[in-house]
Amino acid sequence: MMGGREAAVTTATEIHGRGASEGRRLFEEWYAALTSAPERGEKAAYVFVMGSLVELLRCFDLHVVFPEINSLQTAVRKVADEYLNLAEDHGFSPDVCGYVKADYAVQVRSGEHPMGRIPPPDVAVLTNACSTYIKWAEIWERMYEAPVFTFDTPGSRIPVPLKRAGTSTETPDRAARHAADSFEADRRYVEHQLRELIEVCERVTGIAFDIDRCREVLRLTNEMGRHWRRVLELNRQSPAPFDAMLEGTIYLGVANALRGTEAGATYFEDLVEEMEARIADGLGPRGEADEHHRLVFVGVPCYPIFRRFYELFAEWGGTFVSSTYTWFASGGLNRDYEYDLEDPLKSLAEGLLLGVREATDSLMFPDRALIESIDAFDVDGVVYHPVKSCRTVSTGLAASRRVILEERDVLALYIESDMMDKRVVSEAQLKNRIDAFFEGLRSREIRLAGSTAD
Amino acid sequence: MRYAAGVDVGSTQTKAIVVDESGSIAGRSLIDTGANVVVAAETAFQNALRAGEIAPEDVGYVIGTGYGRYKVEFGDDQVTEIVCHARGAAEMFPETRTVLDMGGQDTKAIRIEPGGEVLDFCMNDKCAAGTGRFLQSAAAALGLELPELGPTALRGRRPVEISTTCTVFAESEVLSWLARGKAVEDILLGVHRSIGSRSFGLLRRVGIEEEITFTGGVARNEAMVAVMNEVLGVPTNVSEESHFIGALGAALFALERAQLQDAPTRRAVGEG
Amino acid sequence: MSGQSSTAPGGDAMPRLLELVPDAGLDEMLEHCRELVEAPDLPTVKRWRDAGGKVVGHFQVYFPEELAHAAGMLPVKVRGAPVERREADSHFGSYICSILRSSLELALTGRLEVDLFVTHPICDAARNLAGIWARNLPQPARLLYYPQNASSGFASRYLEGEYARLLAEIEDIAGRQVTEDDVRVSIRVFNRNRKLLRDLYEVKRETPWLLPVDEAYCLVAVGGLIGREEHNTLLERALPAIRQRSARPQDKMRVVFEGGFCEQPPLDLLRSIAEFCYVVDDDLLIGLRWIVEDVAANEEPLHALAEAYLNSSSYSPVQHDARKPKEEMLLRRIRSARAEAAIVSAAKMCEPGLDEQVAYGQALEEEGIPYFLTEFEEKMTSFSQLQIQLETFVENVLFASEDCEQEPLLIQVGERQ
Repeated sequence: MMGGREAAVTTATEIHGRGASEGRRLFEEWYAALTSAPERGEKAAYVFVMGSLVELLRCFDLHVVFPEINSLQTAVRKVADEYLNLAEDHGFSPDVCGYVKADYAVQVRSGEHPMGRIPPPDVAVLTNACSTYIKWAEIWERMYEAPVFTFDTPGSRIPVPLKRAGTSTETPDRAARHAADSFEADRRYVEHQLRELIEVCERVTGIAFDIDRCREVLRLTNEMGRHWRRVLELNRQSPAPFDAMLEGTIYLGVANALRGTEAGATYFEDLVEEMEARIADGLGPRGEADEHHRLVFVGVPCYPIFRRFYELFAEWGGTFVSSTYTWFASGGLNRDYEYDLEDPLKSLAEGLLLGVREATDSLMFPDRALIESIDAFDVDGVVYHPVKSCRTVSTGLAASRRVILEERDVLALYIESDMMDKRVVSEAQLKNRIDAFFEGLRSREIRLAGSTAD
Repeated sequence: MRYAAGVDVGSTQTKAIVVDESGSIAGRSLIDTGANVVVAAETAFQNALRAGEIAPEDVGYVIGTGYGRYKVEFGDDQVTEIVCHARGAAEMFPETRTVLDMGGQDTKAIRIEPGGEVLDFCMNDKCAAGTGRFLQSAAAALGLELPELGPTALRGRRPVEISTTCTVFAESEVLSWLARGKAVEDILLGVHRSIGSRSFGLLRRVGIEEEITFTGGVARNEAMVAVMNEVLGVPTNVSEESHFIGALGAALFALERAQLQDAPTRRAVGEG
Repeated sequence: MSGQSSTAPGGDAMPRLLELVPDAGLDEMLEHCRELVEAPDLPTVKRWRDAGGKVVGHFQVYFPEELAHAAGMLPVKVRGAPVERREADSHFGSYICSILRSSLELALTGRLEVDLFVTHPICDAARNLAGIWARNLPQPARLLYYPQNASSGFASRYLEGEYARLLAEIEDIAGRQVTEDDVRVSIRVFNRNRKLLRDLYEVKRETPWLLPVDEAYCLVAVGGLIGREEHNTLLERALPAIRQRSARPQDKMRVVFEGGFCEQPPLDLLRSIAEFCYVVDDDLLIGLRWIVEDVAANEEPLHALAEAYLNSSSYSPVQHDARKPKEEMLLRRIRSARAEAAIVSAAKMCEPGLDEQVAYGQALEEEGIPYFLTEFEEKMTSFSQLQIQLETFVENVLFASEDCEQEPLLIQVGERQ
């Protein structure tokens, strides 16, 4: 339980940063539990943030391991290069996903990790939300005897862009028919696979599936999701209470690791309290509000210099009021969807499909949701940060940027680096571009101020 | 009489420009940057003052730009070269809407408003492909001096296809074309076209709007200008003095700031 | 789709795309195929469209071309091209392979014109192609998600449903009904094609001196650009002529080339390999040879196609199937082709290909099979480095096989765990 809840009178300043420190504590506990799991004879499931199925796995007393989070932790803790180098010594190319390579090295080093010791998988569950998940899990298939369950959760078959160039031969009827048919077919397929996965988990753990337990876990995720969406929503305030790129990433970690638990639901309830207190006292992410530019972050943060990367924006009074990362990497929690506790399995299938589909679709066309946030969050700049490591997130960004600039009067920065590999992170280059971006924002502001004064 | 100055500290050369109250150039200088960036900035500034016979205390505001902008220790502020190039280009060619700046290790595409405000910009990505460095590698492989590249390439008739995107491999690719009996001018034309094609891609990212002004050290290479004009389908603006464009932009910003200082009521707007 | 019979698929009335003179000899045929395969403006597709025909363009790797064929449309394999890119690059970031960029370039510059474009989320980069296509090009684009959970009891039923929905759209665009019999007819045409391609690969395997890898490649690749009946006729004429060639076996190493499932290596790269090696099997354009047996033409045809995709198929780094670990499949390919070594290649920036290289390397090392690791790009023009390395590799392997004390591997990927 958190101290802040019991104390009757808390000021915003007192609890400022509680979510971050509490998040760190929960993370340490989580890793400690993973470290000691094998000696207690407890089993672990490997999962991914997009389509994690943690709710189902909790019904079998499985610890959940997020290799993506393990990998990013090596970068945040500045030891990623040890892991990347080991993987590259074993033949991995410098041009492939750094998360995969860092996890490969963690496995080779028998789970040795800066946060603890990662247990080997007893089962691994993944979806096709990211194609690299599949290549990644194939590595485990080769290393371990543990079953690997590759879930098909098909995305939309028809790309529906915000705007088409020129005349189109696409007929809306045909497109709509196709989309409607495919959803129901997919839902059936996903539900069938869920039942197959339940059998696998029962075999691995020797625990029989209990639908009432599943119901309870889903209820807790529903609760967490409500609070999480509230937190995201509160950043529409000006000044925004938190930085969605820096603090948002910490919250996101908790959202993934603790979904379907009491602790997770409580954490976000407390976080809502903290954010509301910040708003009441007019505080921003850095205490006294210094918000000068409201920004949206698109992509995955630059973990090798995470703090510095944030400061490059903060120094100019830039606050990330929203971040696409908190959408697509939240395991569907950003969607206004709650599991139907009357029919848990059917709803779990539907929720999984909808969550993954929205994540994959939003990666293909981030512009639609971006424009909504630009309007809702009163944004004046968009920062695209495509990374070498992740083609899933990065491939569509150059094209999306073109659309955003046509549709809204914002400036859009495009900077490439990586989320793991500091060899392609050049702080001087980043700073140069970021400074020019803010200079542009500033001169635009002067022009707009001038035109309203006239 | 009040003056303002801009000092552009680049990786190879440092340029300084002093402008008078009307924004006209009153003094300029260009020196090699060398190992001591702080000294280079100071020397270039002093040389420009001397050239314009201007007393240091008459300069109201100095802005540093370029990679060494934070080393302009006597400067009042720093502005990135992206924004300064845009401003300088708009000053030299007022109808400019798109700037292509090709330097030693950076290529920038900048789209601007009338007056030089930056609407959008993009820079070359992960490596030096498509920049002046690529030309240097090719020149080294062919044993040519940089100034010879343009005239030689212009004699090319059947350009080879340069496929590598890596500056490090440019040399070996050039050598392999030589080994296959291709003429030096055709290889060089191919190199220029490959850079032109990459720069075009960069320009497409910001959107190409006429007029287009081509700046930076590589703009002095006539073959590169010819290739860009061909790729774009319109002639680009090129100035003999294009290497001063960043310093000029910085000096003009400095002049604005100096004037804002004199009118304190408006100052708050400009200082973020 | 209805069960009744209708007229034969429309391909019959359409122009011949190959434009091969009736008495053309083998060299002429090969030359002609090479020209078509290398032409970035896709002349056969233009000819088809000029005659009023409709086209389904499908991006790598596999597509059930029978569906397009049954509706009288021309299925065209979209596999990039070594073209200068002026339009496409601004839509992508830096770390993206060439085939995606160049395929988009062909479409944006009007060199590739289709009535329906289908792409598959084979990798994280490729699935974005549909989105960028939909924004910038007028014709409809579709994603076809193949099952990656191949061992699910529902996978085949799911895929059959996908095929049915796609066929409905193809009917819509073609403006005609497609019956089950139409599809069965098409399956027979493609079964014939698959058989002929297997024969071609048998020639490569058994008498590789008669057919260098680059020539075989052109004969296969042209199939992605012309009607299948015509391709069948071409192969029926070419195969006997190849078998009658007078070339004699040379002292070249038998190798398997792996890494051509999506982006295609330039022909000159294949020629460079052919100087030192007999490529006795490969995964070049594996999508055209994905199904390895006849598809049951008397059954419910969409079901048969879905089953064949899952259960009678080859392998690639972009299809997951726990029953077909890729490194084991590669070892099987090497053994059945009696290859002495493998060239394990990957396109630059190709995440699945590069990831698979690691697994392949480790498995080959464990088995003591020499292998040569390399990367390529469709647009590369300089092969001297590759030639030197490959020549050294071949010499080393041949030398090592004479002296068993010698470590047989030239390139290692680090220690096995």
